[in-house]
Amino acid sequence: MNTIIKNTRLFWQGTLLSYRALFAWLRPVTYMASKIIMPLAQMFFFVFLGTYASGGKNASFFVIGNAIQITSISGIFGVTMSVGGDRDAGTLPYLFGTPANRFMIFFGRAFMHVIDGAIGVVIALTWGVLLMGLDLSRTDMPALGLTILITTFSTCGLGLLMGCLSLLTANVMFVNNFVYFSLLIFSGANVAIESLPAWMQVVSNILPLTRGIAASRALVGGASLNDILPLLITELGIGLIYGFVGYVLFAWFETQAKQRGTLETV
Amino acid sequence: MNYGNLFKYWRTVLVVAEMSLRTQFSDAFVLFAIVFQPMIIAILALFMLRDKGGDYAMFVVIGSGLTGLWSSLLFVSGNSINVERWTGTLESLVGMPTPFDVIVFGKNLANVFQSLLSMVVSYALAAALFGYSLTLTQPLLFFATLLISMFAFICFGLTIAPVFVMYRSIQQWQNAMEFPVYILCGFLFPIALLPDWTTPVSYLLPPYWAAIALHGTSTADMPFPQIAFSWGMMILFSIVDLVIASQLFRIMLYKARVDATLDVD
Repeated sequence: MNTIIKNTRLFWQGTLLSYRALFAWLRPVTYMASKIIMPLAQMFFFVFLGTYASGGKNASFFVIGNAIQITSISGIFGVTMSVGGDRDAGTLPYLFGTPANRFMIFFGRAFMHVIDGAIGVVIALTWGVLLMGLDLSRTDMPALGLTILITTFSTCGLGLLMGCLSLLTANVMFVNNFVYFSLLIFSGANVAIESLPAWMQVVSNILPLTRGIAASRALVGGASLNDILPLLITELGIGLIYGFVGYVLFAWFETQAKQRGTLETV
Repeated sequence: MNYGNLFKYWRTVLVVAEMSLRTQFSDAFVLFAIVFQPMIIAILALFMLRDKGGDYAMFVVIGSGLTGLWSSLLFVSGNSINVERWTGTLESLVGMPTPFDVIVFGKNLANVFQSLLSMVVSYALAAALFGYSLTLTQPLLFFATLLISMFAFICFGLTIAPVFVMYRSIQQWQNAMEFPVYILCGFLFPIALLPDWTTPVSYLLPPYWAAIALHGTSTADMPFPQIAFSWGMMILFSIVDLVIASQLFRIMLYKARVDATLDVD
């Protein structure tokens, strides 16, 4: 019982402190510029491009796709910076020197970003309704909320994996940016998956977001939770796999770093 | 800014440009901004606009290239002074006999020049991967437009850099400035899609006139008077930008030499 309480406290403190530390350098205005205005501007750009391409039809396809894709800002950049930030701040040796449960430390880094990312999606969808004519009248809202949470969770799973890469390479922002922008193509946010070449469809199917976006579009189109449940379960599974691979990599990195003395030399 | 310095110190401008090019080609962030991000945007746009036919391929090449040009101007040129502050070399640069604005001009020249790689990459992508046959409708006028656009972008960059170093509250909005300009300048779709109230804002942005003229000379037979008007607007904005930049550099150098607050956060 004592261990559970300790680990829960560790998880919660790690969650809050890493999130606060990540944004400690930000003023509210910077947070708003980076986490609200920038994602919305990006969404509007692709929605305008999409409606131009489709001759003014199908705006909701692009609004939903890009609104859900916004979750990857928190999922990829936020989580990666939370995990990799220890190396940048020079606190990694202390972290690895503690007897704290690694599982709790590792997954605690992502928790606040799941909430943060989900809020970002809700804001984007709200703008979609107010400015882009997105119609949510037939939408099962609790199911959409669940879909947003699961999609954000699975994207954070990818972020945890990317965060581990940030411990291995100095060019993590390049990799992050590349993955983030690639998701705009492969997740189906802007291009229907069926219209992509076969090899790209294979890549789409092993990425987070793809099924979350498909499920959200189906829900907005009037589908029920039961209809999209298989998509959500697979999305959740993909997120867990990425998170688990990230955790294994994190553990491997710690072992290698301790054995070779390469903790902060990459 | 003393414009005569650009002619007097032309060797310095070129050496700074060369050094900047060498440095930036090993910077992963710069490579992402000028190569990979425009490439991904080009792939997306080519997929999204393919139902409109092959004529749109060149439109996408130019448009995605312009996104690379703007992103690079915003993040690389915008931080061309800040980066010296971050590395601790700003005071030395300000203190040396070579005029500081000449150095920043050279850095911007390199940045805008290397950003043209965005268009080359998008062109190669559309031709090689998507199999489009790409030709410029008015090649001579296109390259003339490109030169004027480069000058307009450099001058615009000269106003952004000192603003970002002196007014950090504005620099905080840097991330949020990237996509709005893609939208307002009609890089990949006409601004007629946007609400009417945004049109005057577009007219005030030099990249909008660059986009109009570059699209017009690459994918359409734009009448020469319209091209010349866009050139005129770019030159007009360049002159305005240079006047504003001269005032900004004066204030910035005052802060550096008298207040000694340039490097203070």
